[in-house]
Amino acid sequence: MTIAAEFDNVVKDYPCGWLGRQKLRALDGVSFQVETGQVLGLIGPNRAGKTTLAKILLSLCRLTAGKAFRFGEPVDRQKTLCRVGYMHENQAFPRYWNARGILEFYGALSLVNADVICRRIPILLEKVGLADRSDEPISQFSKGMVQRLALAQSIINDPDLLVLDEPTAGLDAEGRRLVHEIVRERRQRGGAVILITHLMSDIEALCDRVVAIRAGKLVREGPIDSFRKESESFEQSIEPLLEAQPT
Amino acid sequence: MTSRFLQSGRWLIRDTFRQARASGLLWVMLSVSAVCILVCLSVGVSGPLSLKQDGEVVEFLPSGDPEAEKAKRSGVEIIRGELTLGFGAFHVPLGRDAGEAVRYIQMLLAGFIADTAGILLALVWSAGFLPSFLDPASSAVLFAKPVPRWWLLLGKYLGVLGFLLVQAVVFVLGTWLALAIRTGIWDPVYLLCLPLLLLHFAVFFSFSTFVAVCTRSTVASVIGSILFWLLCWGMNFGRHTMVVLESSNISPLLMSMVEVGYWILPKPADFGMILFDVLEAKKFFVQADAFRLVQNEGAFYPAWSLFSSALFACVLVGLAQWQLRETDF
Repeated sequence: MTIAAEFDNVVKDYPCGWLGRQKLRALDGVSFQVETGQVLGLIGPNRAGKTTLAKILLSLCRLTAGKAFRFGEPVDRQKTLCRVGYMHENQAFPRYWNARGILEFYGALSLVNADVICRRIPILLEKVGLADRSDEPISQFSKGMVQRLALAQSIINDPDLLVLDEPTAGLDAEGRRLVHEIVRERRQRGGAVILITHLMSDIEALCDRVVAIRAGKLVREGPIDSFRKESESFEQSIEPLLEAQPT
Repeated sequence: MTSRFLQSGRWLIRDTFRQARASGLLWVMLSVSAVCILVCLSVGVSGPLSLKQDGEVVEFLPSGDPEAEKAKRSGVEIIRGELTLGFGAFHVPLGRDAGEAVRYIQMLLAGFIADTAGILLALVWSAGFLPSFLDPASSAVLFAKPVPRWWLLLGKYLGVLGFLLVQAVVFVLGTWLALAIRTGIWDPVYLLCLPLLLLHFAVFFSFSTFVAVCTRSTVASVIGSILFWLLCWGMNFGRHTMVVLESSNISPLLMSMVEVGYWILPKPADFGMILFDVLEAKKFFVQADAFRLVQNEGAFYPAWSLFSSALFACVLVGLAQWQLRETDF
């Protein structure tokens, strides 16, 4: 087992107010690790800091204090992003591409060899159920189809670490089954997955460990079984942690 | 790894071309070029005499002028041709030889349609490219890729320049070929306006890029670039006017400030002056006094003007890249 992602006392302040002179603390000393071969569920109420954690891991925003690592290297070294896949919570693709084109484009930006991309695209489109719509413009896709395409995009580089932010939002039962299948497949292949979701059924079905965050602070972390032991059900044990935080 | 890096750059350029096609910009600009090419195809020139004689200053007289009649009677050959437009629908008596008549049309195309109206319209039309590229819902995934942000922005900037290059080639080469085929005058000097037009656009698109990165707003990019172009034109014109005015009327401090502003900012009027010189437009148009006199006084340095404008573009693209790197998504 190696460490795929590590947060060490991470603090993140966002500027706010007049000319950004005030600070809004989004993360306050969060520390945990994600190992390879593990699915970690990141839970918490809205504005808890879950997406900010993902963004720090993906170099989308900078740390205010603390340290964060991808595969043992500081997150500001971009080369390890070759091994990472990301699905955004409100994924929007340029509407002028078709499904095949967008996967080629994102594959090229992931620095994947062109031949490998060409081989992988039909397989991925088949997997997400878009094989027969591969040449249609994305502007004609439904929200669910865009979600499926976003899922395919997130694994175009066969990542060792997959970050999924609300992957099942807007998906039908078949789409959710697909997400579950992909997450299990990643784990089976020795990859790590960080799953950010409000759906406790997804967490319970897929995750090995759970990290709960509230108001930017880590409130609980442990194997999913440790949560189950405390109450009749996983959802009951997690409920107090997810209560809306004061604004 | 380098080849994959370049491959990602090619895809960014390709993305820009797709964006241009989808937004309709490709077809709008091609239509404008097509109309201009069609106008050029409708041009006809008759009158085979050439006035290009070594070392002689060419002087023109309207064909109906009594002096011209007198000269003709004394055995001097005078131009008798005519310029036709609209496939012969309109006839214009020729006051010059065929080569000069074609150059006159080329100056109208390059100087007024492409260099002023064309550049400003291209800036307005392309101003939305970067803000939509930087929209958080689509850019978050792009910036989570191993390609650095500066490369993504540079790829997109070069993509827009590549698109404009294609459009400029279609316009300049198309009108040049159309005029040459119709008139038999294959004068390549007109093609020199191609790099000038591209550089002019590149300089002002760098400002549009910077505004787009700072604000992610198409409206701010459009208004910002037009206002900036006007500011630069004003500074450029003001500097030349000051140089040719009596220096005792202007405070040395103001002179120095304008001179510094002139050299720092891009110089859109200088692009026009250089184009004017390249196409020898002095033969047909009266240049504004400030532009004519500043050249006569030796205070106009075309090479340095182009270099400093290009340097401004490089600095601004660099600043935009730095700003993008510092931005949280």
